[in-house]
Amino acid sequence: MLKPTKMTRVMIAGTKDLVVPTISALHNLNVLHITDYSEETEHFKIGRPLKTASKLSEYLLSLRSISNQLGISEKESGIKKSTKELPSHIDEKITALQQDVSSRFDELRGIEFKIKEKEDLASSVKPFFGLPLSFEAYNGYETVKVYAGYIDANIESNLSRITKNYELFTGEYEKRKIFALFIPLVFADEVQKLLQDERSYVELKIPQLKGNPPVILDELEKEISALHEKHASIKSELENIKKEYSEFIIEADEYLSIETQKAEAPLRFATSPNAFIIDGWVPSRNFDEIETKLQESTGGLVYLTKIDEEVKEEDIPIELENPTLAKPFELLIDTFATPKYGEIDPASVLFITFPLFYAIMLGDVGYAIIVAAMAYIIKNKFKTGGLNALALILFLSSILSILFGFIYGEFFGFPIFNVVVHGELEHGLLGIAGPAIAGIHLPVHRFGEVQSLLLLTLVIGIIHILLGLVIGFRNHVIEHGLKHAIFAKGSWMMILIGGVMAIAKLMPAVMSKLPVPTNDPVFAVGGGLAIIGLILLIAGEGFISILEIPTLLSNVLSYSRILAIGLSSAGIALAVNTLSMNLFIKPGGVLMGKGVVLALVGVVILFIGHLINLLLGILGPGLHSLRLQYVEFFTKFYEGGGKKYVPFGYNRKYTEE
Amino acid sequence: MVADAGMIAIGAGIAVGLAGIGAGMGEQAIGAAAVGAMAEDEKFFGKGLLMTVIPESIAIFGLVVALILLFVFNA
Repeated sequence: MLKPTKMTRVMIAGTKDLVVPTISALHNLNVLHITDYSEETEHFKIGRPLKTASKLSEYLLSLRSISNQLGISEKESGIKKSTKELPSHIDEKITALQQDVSSRFDELRGIEFKIKEKEDLASSVKPFFGLPLSFEAYNGYETVKVYAGYIDANIESNLSRITKNYELFTGEYEKRKIFALFIPLVFADEVQKLLQDERSYVELKIPQLKGNPPVILDELEKEISALHEKHASIKSELENIKKEYSEFIIEADEYLSIETQKAEAPLRFATSPNAFIIDGWVPSRNFDEIETKLQESTGGLVYLTKIDEEVKEEDIPIELENPTLAKPFELLIDTFATPKYGEIDPASVLFITFPLFYAIMLGDVGYAIIVAAMAYIIKNKFKTGGLNALALILFLSSILSILFGFIYGEFFGFPIFNVVVHGELEHGLLGIAGPAIAGIHLPVHRFGEVQSLLLLTLVIGIIHILLGLVIGFRNHVIEHGLKHAIFAKGSWMMILIGGVMAIAKLMPAVMSKLPVPTNDPVFAVGGGLAIIGLILLIAGEGFISILEIPTLLSNVLSYSRILAIGLSSAGIALAVNTLSMNLFIKPGGVLMGKGVVLALVGVVILFIGHLINLLLGILGPGLHSLRLQYVEFFTKFYEGGGKKYVPFGYNRKYTEE
Repeated sequence: MVADAGMIAIGAGIAVGLAGIGAGMGEQAIGAAAVGAMAEDEKFFGKGLLMTVIPESIAIFGLVVALILLFVFNA
């Protein structure tokens, strides 16, 4: 909690004949973050992959292409299978599978091409149904030219001007006039021109076929349907292959991924002609484990040692470490930046502040219950990854929102308890006055208590920013020493605390036109503190830093969004309710007093209005709560720039050794 | 007093309206850039969305001024 996992740098050295067992042992442990070796020297070069690497990656490539073609997707992992027998038959199985699958896919493509061809032919045959000729009549002339096509106009008069020696057949196909024209070849050019001048002319290609059009079409359709059948049967064969082999493919994929990873590992080592050296990091708690396991599997012949040499913080890999409940909030940290090794990891702080801000903003029992239910469903649907973490964050936040909903007394914008607002009594859903808890009478009505809630949000802001500065102070002490920390962060704390004290006394006086309360000890101490802070700031960071003081003010004021977002959401809910209630209840209290139609309109407004407000209610509070963390809080201490801890290994889902 | 209430309401409206326009002008550039970044890498969605709401502070300051006018000065 609050700090990344403690890391120890290790160096492993051994002779080359031990490289395989070393890699195996390290891969199984899945704890060593290997630092890639990059500078080649006279004695040490970057290692070469194991001999098996190229073969393995070739297999993996063909397996992935098969799995792609068959459309195999990852499934829920069930029982992990042993991979002991896999190496003995993986070669022939993949080769056979590839032949089976790719030959079938080739065949499928061939059939699809043929179907397309036949269908094109069929559609070019169809128009000739309109003409009383069989296809022999159109083809095979030496001195006669044949034209066929659609045409609306009568061309015979124009045609007879060119020649009287022609034969014209006309008919109809799908309500369009169709013709076939036979003329001596010598007039072909003139007739072509004549036809092309006719706007309605559309040329038809004459298929090189023999027989009657309907008979030919019938044959073609039979062939096409036979092809379709064949296509379907090959598809079902592929489906069977998929069913039979999908388990093997998924397992083999994992096995090959692991083996390839192992075989390519030496690329990250430094090697001499006879030895290898691995440089890396392990979480300190795993050091003993890695030592014993490594010695076991190499017979104690590999040398392993801790290195205490000073390194740059940025080079130490970071693994965040937080309690289960705060774990999802690491997602928000990673989205911003991975912390550096010496820095505070603020995930546990976000665990408190993020849901709190969210809940104060949303604060409606009805909306919060729906958001909680949605988050719960998403959490159960996606067991791992970013979406799961997000759903958990949303779930925690919405549970807290239910509590704040009770405090505000809001249920889908309706009041829960009877309450007097601005001198008028609002009737609550429960019909009773709210209870009093710890001296506060519930509900705290958001529209009734704007002034005090606004003040509360600013106080929250001041505390949050101060917390940020305190963490920043701590980070600075560790990284640059106490003096620097006082100049850089202590000065800001003094300005903030002193400024708040002074302004708290100054504002009421100015508002009621009284003189500046110089005699007030709080004002004097606050003002003094702020001035000392300012001097320290200028001493530490120069005059230019004065320009940053307004930023502090706008940072504090920015927290007023906690109230503003909530009020706008409550306002929309109130507007939707008022609008729809007026439509289905007459002022006298009669249900549907304005007619069924208006009552239905009211229901639609109620439904759509609350739906939109609900979506805004997830997005608005979520984003703005996050923004307060990132912009107002993190900027006070967070630098980031660490690199993530990626251990050498594999999280097996389907196989085991 | 009625005239005062009216002036306060108009003032609140101007505060929200102008602040909204300001925030919109800020957001348009960021939004366009965020969509551009997302076109290259979809993983940018979360960061892009967050950056797009940063100028929304301006709108919220306007809203807060309006709230103070309506609920504090009007009461």
